[in-house]
Amino acid sequence: MITTPGAFLRVGAIIMAAVILQLSGFGTMSFFGGHPDLVSLAVAAVAIYAGSVTGAATGFAAGFVLDLAVGATMGASSLVLTAVGYAVGRYREVRDPVHGLMPIPVGAAATLGFLVAFASVSFMLDVGASVSPLVFRDMLVTTLLNALLAIPVFALGRRVLRPALVVDPFESRRRRRAPTDSGPLGLRGLEV
Amino acid sequence: MFDKKVVRRRRAALAIFITLSIVMLTAYFGESSGGAFHTLQRGAQEAFAPIETGTGRALKPFRDFFGWFGDTLDAKGENEDLRKEVEQLRKQVAQSSTAEQDARQLRGLVDLERTEGFPAGTEPVAARVIARSPTVWYSTVKIDKGSGDGVREDQPVIAAGGLAGKVTSVTGGTAEVTLITDASSAVSAQIMPDGATGIVKPEVGKPEDLLLEFVQRGRVTEGTTVVTSGFTSDKVESLFPRGVPIGRVSRVDLDEVELYQRVHIKPFADMRRLDIVEVLTQKGEGRETAEVVTP
Repeated sequence: MITTPGAFLRVGAIIMAAVILQLSGFGTMSFFGGHPDLVSLAVAAVAIYAGSVTGAATGFAAGFVLDLAVGATMGASSLVLTAVGYAVGRYREVRDPVHGLMPIPVGAAATLGFLVAFASVSFMLDVGASVSPLVFRDMLVTTLLNALLAIPVFALGRRVLRPALVVDPFESRRRRRAPTDSGPLGLRGLEV
Repeated sequence: MFDKKVVRRRRAALAIFITLSIVMLTAYFGESSGGAFHTLQRGAQEAFAPIETGTGRALKPFRDFFGWFGDTLDAKGENEDLRKEVEQLRKQVAQSSTAEQDARQLRGLVDLERTEGFPAGTEPVAARVIARSPTVWYSTVKIDKGSGDGVREDQPVIAAGGLAGKVTSVTGGTAEVTLITDASSAVSAQIMPDGATGIVKPEVGKPEDLLLEFVQRGRVTEGTTVVTSGFTSDKVESLFPRGVPIGRVSRVDLDEVELYQRVHIKPFADMRRLDIVEVLTQKGEGRETAEVVTP
């Protein structure tokens, strides 16, 4: 990612939009006990296009803003979302996924990872209340909802980030898809 | 991508963010409610509040639309749960109603035994009705007590309110009771307090109406109580002890041609709803009394 003020603004806008929409919209849309989690999806979207370092930074910032807005324990969301952003970014760097449906498993994995890790951190911080087994059902529902939401969220994230990206994975895929399989044997695959 | 410098930079960035998060966590837990992070949170929440309110209003239609799906599915599930609950409650109500009816009949039996004039020392055996005859011509019921419980043939059977019938056949564990509404039934009875006697016979197909026949002409008033007379003579003896309430006079037919008058009686015991009865296993002693208090 090109580190320019514009890029920071773009990532900042994504984070703010995700947190505000999450708190005032998606957070109240209950569906079988669960609700979509836009923040983890947004972090995953930034990380998949911008890489691990930007993903970790985005995760940290998103967690910071989320904890500030919600009034939750400062640092808990940052810690988890940093790890999520970094992991998704690394996945992209190592595997370079190019499939059109890639956002679905990535979004689901990021959400599940965030929910499980956040639950673990909350346990470690001593929640001080009995926990119902229904939280597992809610986690599953949230993961499924996020899997459905992943494609539009990732597409939107890509559109916002594209001017600041050094490499757009989907663009590079398109470029790789122009093989030259004619001409002299030694020159095949080369544009001459 | 595999440049050492890049790798180091990446790891350093991750370490910095993780460390910052942990430091924040520690500081947040360590500080009081007036600390820097708490103050920052309060400020941020105040700043976010108007934005959240506006966004919330703007997103309300979407939220409602999304909620509609959830509510519909929830309502479906809830509907199923409520149906099951209703079914469960219906069963409970049915059980309660049955128990209440049983209790009412048992109370009626106890009250009957306490009635002034009811024969003493009859040693009743309570029994539950387990079967009924399906036709109006044979008004019989089967009870779950038999010879093993001291039940014998020809023993009188009472139900809540009054006389119900007599035992006509007995097995080890069950007995058949022929009701006073059976076509073959005849009970010697007495109108209280007048003392006029007659034979109570049924009107087939009309269990709520018995006929007291062979009552000599005289003054019989409606509403008076009819009890078993416990008739005894040198040769025959009534199966029923004296003083068991049968019913109340509901109407008197005065036929100029007939020598006797026909008295209609409404039985105290509800023959259509017999669930619990008592078999009077001992003859008992009829109390001589001029007045029988109705149950």
